[in-house]
Amino acid sequence: MTDLSHIRNFSIIAHIDHGKSTLADRFIQHCGGLTQREMAEQILDNLDIERERGITIKAQSVTLYFDSKDGRRYQLNFIDTPGHVDFTYEVSRSLAACEGALLVVDAGQGVEAQSVATCYTAIEQGLEVLPVLNKMDLPQAEPERVKTEIEEIIGIDATDAVCASAKSGLGIEDILEEIVAKVPAPVGDRDAKLQALIIDSWFDNYLGVVSLVRVVAGRLKKGDKIIAKSLGKAHVVDSVGVFTPKRTETQSLAAGEVGFIVAGIKEILGAPVGDTLTLASTPEVEALAGFKRIKPQVYAGLFPVSSDDFEAFRDALSKLTLNDSSLQYEPENSDALGFGFRCGFLGMLHMEIIQERLEREYDLSLITTAPTVVYEVLMSNGDIVLVDSPSRLPPVASIEEMREPIVLANILVPHEHLGSVITLCVQKRGVQRDMQFVGKQVSLSYELPMNEVVLDFFDRLKSVSRGYASLDYQFLRFDKASLVRLDVMINGDRVDALALIVHRDHALGKGRALVEKMKELIPRQLYDVAIQAAIGGQIISRQTVKALRKNVTAKCYGGDITRKKKLLEKQKAGKKRMKQVGNVEVPQEAFLAVLKVDS
Amino acid sequence: MLAQPPLSLYVHIPWCVKKCPYCDFNSHEFGARSELPQTDYVAALCRDFDSDYALACEGSSGGRAIHSVFIGGGTPSLFEARAFDDLLQYIAKTQTPGWLHSQELEITLEANPGTLEAGRFAEFRAAGINRLSIGVQSFADAQLKKLGRIHDSTQARRAIESARSAGFDNFNLDLMHGLPEQTLAAAMADIEAALSFEPPHLSWYQLTIEPNTVFFSKPPPLPKESLLTSVQDAGHALLAANGFEQYEVSAYARDSQRQSRHNLNYWQFGDYLGIGAGAHGKLTLADGGLPRRTRKQRQPENYLRAAPAFTAQSSPIPEEDIALEYLLNTLRTRKGFTRDQFEARTGQPYSTIEGRVASLIDRGLLSDSRAAGAAGTTVTTTERGFRFLNTVLEEFV
Repeated sequence: MTDLSHIRNFSIIAHIDHGKSTLADRFIQHCGGLTQREMAEQILDNLDIERERGITIKAQSVTLYFDSKDGRRYQLNFIDTPGHVDFTYEVSRSLAACEGALLVVDAGQGVEAQSVATCYTAIEQGLEVLPVLNKMDLPQAEPERVKTEIEEIIGIDATDAVCASAKSGLGIEDILEEIVAKVPAPVGDRDAKLQALIIDSWFDNYLGVVSLVRVVAGRLKKGDKIIAKSLGKAHVVDSVGVFTPKRTETQSLAAGEVGFIVAGIKEILGAPVGDTLTLASTPEVEALAGFKRIKPQVYAGLFPVSSDDFEAFRDALSKLTLNDSSLQYEPENSDALGFGFRCGFLGMLHMEIIQERLEREYDLSLITTAPTVVYEVLMSNGDIVLVDSPSRLPPVASIEEMREPIVLANILVPHEHLGSVITLCVQKRGVQRDMQFVGKQVSLSYELPMNEVVLDFFDRLKSVSRGYASLDYQFLRFDKASLVRLDVMINGDRVDALALIVHRDHALGKGRALVEKMKELIPRQLYDVAIQAAIGGQIISRQTVKALRKNVTAKCYGGDITRKKKLLEKQKAGKKRMKQVGNVEVPQEAFLAVLKVDS
Repeated sequence: MLAQPPLSLYVHIPWCVKKCPYCDFNSHEFGARSELPQTDYVAALCRDFDSDYALACEGSSGGRAIHSVFIGGGTPSLFEARAFDDLLQYIAKTQTPGWLHSQELEITLEANPGTLEAGRFAEFRAAGINRLSIGVQSFADAQLKKLGRIHDSTQARRAIESARSAGFDNFNLDLMHGLPEQTLAAAMADIEAALSFEPPHLSWYQLTIEPNTVFFSKPPPLPKESLLTSVQDAGHALLAANGFEQYEVSAYARDSQRQSRHNLNYWQFGDYLGIGAGAHGKLTLADGGLPRRTRKQRQPENYLRAAPAFTAQSSPIPEEDIALEYLLNTLRTRKGFTRDQFEARTGQPYSTIEGRVASLIDRGLLSDSRAAGAAGTTVTTTERGFRFLNTVLEEFV
């Protein structure tokens, strides 16, 4: 057990690609946490998808022992944070376990909105934020400009920012010394009753639920009987320890320390992120502030292409939720797509990740319907109904008023792209709240309807700013809005899975663009395929996919059989990714066509 | 248990003067200066035949009758008649006396105009070859040039006339449509020109761009799909008006006696020996097991080198592929297949495909007739099914 004064708990705040993982690897290397051989690249990003996308989804932590030049040995607990706009709550819980944070900024690119938002959270929570300029080895590094940006946008002193390069190893030791010198040591009464924060929980096939915790007061020992405050169910602690980064048992953790516990909890919902752990014998201990039940922001229907896969799909979802308490799902039945699940996600990235994992790790072929936010509907009888699916919108006659969620979006963008970003925000029905010029960048605040943001806003923002604009947003309130349901009909049949809720002013343009896009995406079939967009009973747009004229192989003799067979197999494989809607084969992408239209 | 179907023989001659840009068959250009290894190749074919024929007859009492021979390529007409005479004489030894010159035996040789000296026709005929398949492709010189053919229309006409005067009353003309920049009128003119020779048989097929060809990497400007469809419809009507019955997707004959027996055997999922470089064969053995496929080295040099030590090598067609292969062939024919035939040739119960057949009947792509009772139910491809045959077959993948 390390004395409180020799402990430093910290996080790294960094934009995607600004080098957080590489930096973490350097720390581990410097402190000798792993041998060279064990040093698989970027240890902290565990999932394949995390590694590929360069983002962290699950928080990880590592305990390192650093010999400072002051002659003492310090226990440094690095708590990794998820790095995306969808995971703000998880980020806030990781930060709550720390006394300090490194703000790592790419010395060439400057500050990005995501870091700003996280940084504000850190400052609000009283963390000591230490700026680090990374990628100093690159010729485009402009440390002075970036320091100004840090000072003007975030408002912290950047004079002493450490210049570093995680790639070359420059400044690594300086950063560690800075942490020791500037991050406050944790405080906490080790003799008080146990109070520990659950930073993250995940499911391990062998151990069950493993939780990463920060002990705030008291001690947590193997054999203790504990409860999570929000649930009250008692579990016996089977093992306690730290990640070095290998899992190492330590028998106990004391106030100020960060480590893992395993307590025979079978479900991840049994150890909610942000909840407080205490002993079963001291249920009166107060819960730590900031605990929230996570609510999905974006909903979409997910359906297996082949109905035979429904059970496998259900199993896969239940396995994924073992590790992801923010993923919610309930059965949904679509006339067009059959049985599937309506799934709730934290945001678009979360949705993409889940979808990819289902397809890759569970080998499922899925159709995802257009994502939608949750609308508030005031009924004529005064009831308020929450609607998370266009097909569940009550009949127009019974609706008094519809309300859509509004977010406050903070955007950072270089001057030269300001015009196009403003145009985009206006197009998406945004209302400007603030605009500030800071160094080379402009900080914009807009109130935007969330449904515009979740669809394709982020991609569009990136494309109009050549990748330079960054975005952070949070829910503000529900606002009354003039919304209509846009239906799509294929050969005269309304396809429930293609319905959308859109603003009345956009309905016509959206309908046209959508139908045109679908015409491109639906391959020619044996019959003409009519695609129509309609609002209520009124058709607003129509396109026809002309019938295929023929599809026959001219020559086939004895020697050709194998090749002809391969050709058919290829043709068939193409269809596997399509769904039969009535007589029409509709490819997966067509269900998400709305994400690909510009309007 | 699988009954043994009729047996045919395919002989592959893998050389051409020049490789055509659309051709994906196993053909190899030989330099103008070099001599074709005709004698060695015939010797190799004989050895190849011996081992495959022995395999085909394994467990059967006595030999198996060969119902047709097709000598294809490449350009078989590059070989001299005596090469085929030697080969056919050699094969005849395994067959009943009088086999080679019997009325029922169809022996086809593929001939390309431009490689044929008029004198050779009579010799081919004398060697026992009784059917010629002449690769005319088009009667328009400009088209022939684009297709990379070495002959012109005059040579094509001359070749047909010589064939007839040499006593070939049974011959086929190969004709393509959907050629680069071809108009409807030009396609019809080609058919008219072919009809003027009163051929007993026409193979009229659409140019298809196959992988591993020059056209695949440098696609020529092909007619639009709507034009292709019009050509198909008009050509079909023109041929029908002239008494030609389409008995397979691309095969037309005026008299059912002049349908290609050899090709019909493929399309009825019969057995065939495949000898020569790159040749494929299909054999049903007397043991009642799954039908087997044979294949040979593609490169002529490798084939020749391996010849002295040939042993028949074959692998069974995977059980799950048999129904598909059967349908891939039989549904190309107008006559389709009967339930009994399906079971006899695939060894599988009809129920394995019944549901899918029924749904294709519902979709108007197949039809069935029960005139001869349930067991004799005949399944045929409808007109619409012929247009979309790949869609039909895909159901059985």
